Amino acid sequence: MNAEKCQQLQTQIKTLDSIYTAPMILQPLLELLRQPAEEISFEKVTKLVSCDSAIAAQCLRLANSPLFGCRQVETVRSAIMALGLQKVRSVLFGLCMNQILPKDKWVFQPTAFWRHSLGCALVTQRMAQRIGYAEPEKAYLAGLLHDLGVMANSLLYTADFRKCLQLAGERRQPLHLCEEEILGFTHCESGKLLAEHWRLPADLCEVVCAHHDVQLAHTAQPLVCLTHLGDLLCRVRYLGYGYDEVLGVELGGELAWKTLVGNYPALSNMDLQRFTLDIDGAMDQIVATVDAVFGTETAAARV
Amino acid sequence: MNRREEAVPGPNSAKDKTMATEAAKAKPEATPQAVPADPAYLKIRDLIYRVSGIYQPEEKLYLLVSRCARRMSAVSAKTPSEYLEHLTTLGNREAELRLLLNEITIGETYMFRSPPQLEALRTVVLPQVMETKRAMGFKRLRFWSAGCSTGEEPYTLAMFLLEESEKLLAGWSFDILATDLNDNALQAAMAGVYGDYALRHTTEVLRRKYFKVHDEKRLEVTDQLKSHVRFDRVNLSDDSRMLFLKGMDVIFCCNVLIYFDLASKRRVVQHFYSNLLSNGYLFLGPAESLFQVNDTFRLVHFPGTTGYWKAPANSPAGGKP
Repeated sequence: MNAEKCQQLQTQIKTLDSIYTAPMILQPLLELLRQPAEEISFEKVTKLVSCDSAIAAQCLRLANSPLFGCRQVETVRSAIMALGLQKVRSVLFGLCMNQILPKDKWVFQPTAFWRHSLGCALVTQRMAQRIGYAEPEKAYLAGLLHDLGVMANSLLYTADFRKCLQLAGERRQPLHLCEEEILGFTHCESGKLLAEHWRLPADLCEVVCAHHDVQLAHTAQPLVCLTHLGDLLCRVRYLGYGYDEVLGVELGGELAWKTLVGNYPALSNMDLQRFTLDIDGAMDQIVATVDAVFGTETAAARV
Repeated sequence: MNRREEAVPGPNSAKDKTMATEAAKAKPEATPQAVPADPAYLKIRDLIYRVSGIYQPEEKLYLLVSRCARRMSAVSAKTPSEYLEHLTTLGNREAELRLLLNEITIGETYMFRSPPQLEALRTVVLPQVMETKRAMGFKRLRFWSAGCSTGEEPYTLAMFLLEESEKLLAGWSFDILATDLNDNALQAAMAGVYGDYALRHTTEVLRRKYFKVHDEKRLEVTDQLKSHVRFDRVNLSDDSRMLFLKGMDVIFCCNVLIYFDLASKRRVVQHFYSNLLSNGYLFLGPAESLFQVNDTFRLVHFPGTTGYWKAPANSPAGGKP
């Protein structure tokens, strides 16, 4: 991205606050995403969810769905207990973004986008746990937020971004290559600016920026590498962006893999085939979660 | 992305749907929602993985539950723990394990069973293999269906390659070697007569093109299609035979290695490796793994499937497939 384009993008990102109507819960939610999981108070989350009746209703619906054993959950408090803090944060973030991005600005199918984001969150976290990474919770957030730039591009450059997606689908190429060609920058760059604008923690900003090019990572290398691999694994398990990429990936040959192996020797002994089959098993749950939360949400928004 | 399974059967989808349907018949409570509580099933799952390399993720354990249910009733085991004893400590444990493996892989033999494998061939594997071959001055590809059973896999491959003959493979020729140990299976494969089950994912267009009517209920593979497949009886454990099957570009060996002990499995896979040309691929069944069996092959992920790649000798670890 050239300096002029960068300046232009930066200005655009700064004007975002005046373009969209931020849901009331956005700022407190961003605060939640900045905090380590162990410092988040249960009461605070309950209060936050209760603030927005649409979000509270979604949490209740999800907690009562077959995914959670069809319990009789009637209060926001018990819904949060049933879902767990992590899922609640994902639901909050997803619903919040859905409110920010008007339905005519969605370039991706919202369900495809959320399946990819939640899928990447889950895979990145599982891989983090498997190799003994100290903050698997952080890995989950990294997976969830890595494509923040897709939201920024959808909102700011809707028509051109639509062309990028169309071209990527036609060529069956990774999206960021077509973004570079048409927009002159990628969702990694716009995402980084948005993440910084929202004052997300520095390591998450780095994930957003470097998940397609791990060499750009400096301070949060393991987290960036984990997210890169999580993203790739999702894209080879039909949790990409709604088109078929031509992909043949030797994960063991990825720079991200080799970088991680240096710090986490457990990775070199990991049964990757079994891990992949486990992901296949979890896919149904991801799809069901997204459909339970966002499928009906977008359906309702269309009415 | 919308999951492929929603539109086109994926590697597991058709099988899983069959298994799920059968599961529902066999045991009404064995549904995806009802997670089996008994940890003995996890032990059975891990045992199967250790012995055969076939793996069932936890979320799909209900499929295993229904498969075990049949065997449990056959041996009158009342609980999964009791059945685990049949598989681990009782005298006939090896035979019982084999019977359970048969149950697990039953119903996997039909044409076009794994569209993601064919898509990986079309988009990545064949272009790569062809580049290697072109550099060697050859324009002929060699495939091997090892453990071809009643012939569905090699005929599927032949149809796929013939359909590509005007496109990707224009100007190229190919041959398919299909081998099995079982004479009855080989005879059925050579006869090439199939009913609705084997053809359930074969489109009308392909049926008309590559099959003729055999009788009221069955179709027979045309001579043209048969001419592209050479059947032979090969025991994969026969080292002297294996040594003479060189020059392969792609090998398919689906749910065959699961019946081998670890040492034999290692030997067979090493033969596959030696028999493949550089840049060639080995494809296994959708739930099979070579973990701790072989570390010379490199695992490559494709959309919805995985393959094992023989990287060129001078390729550094991480050379792109």
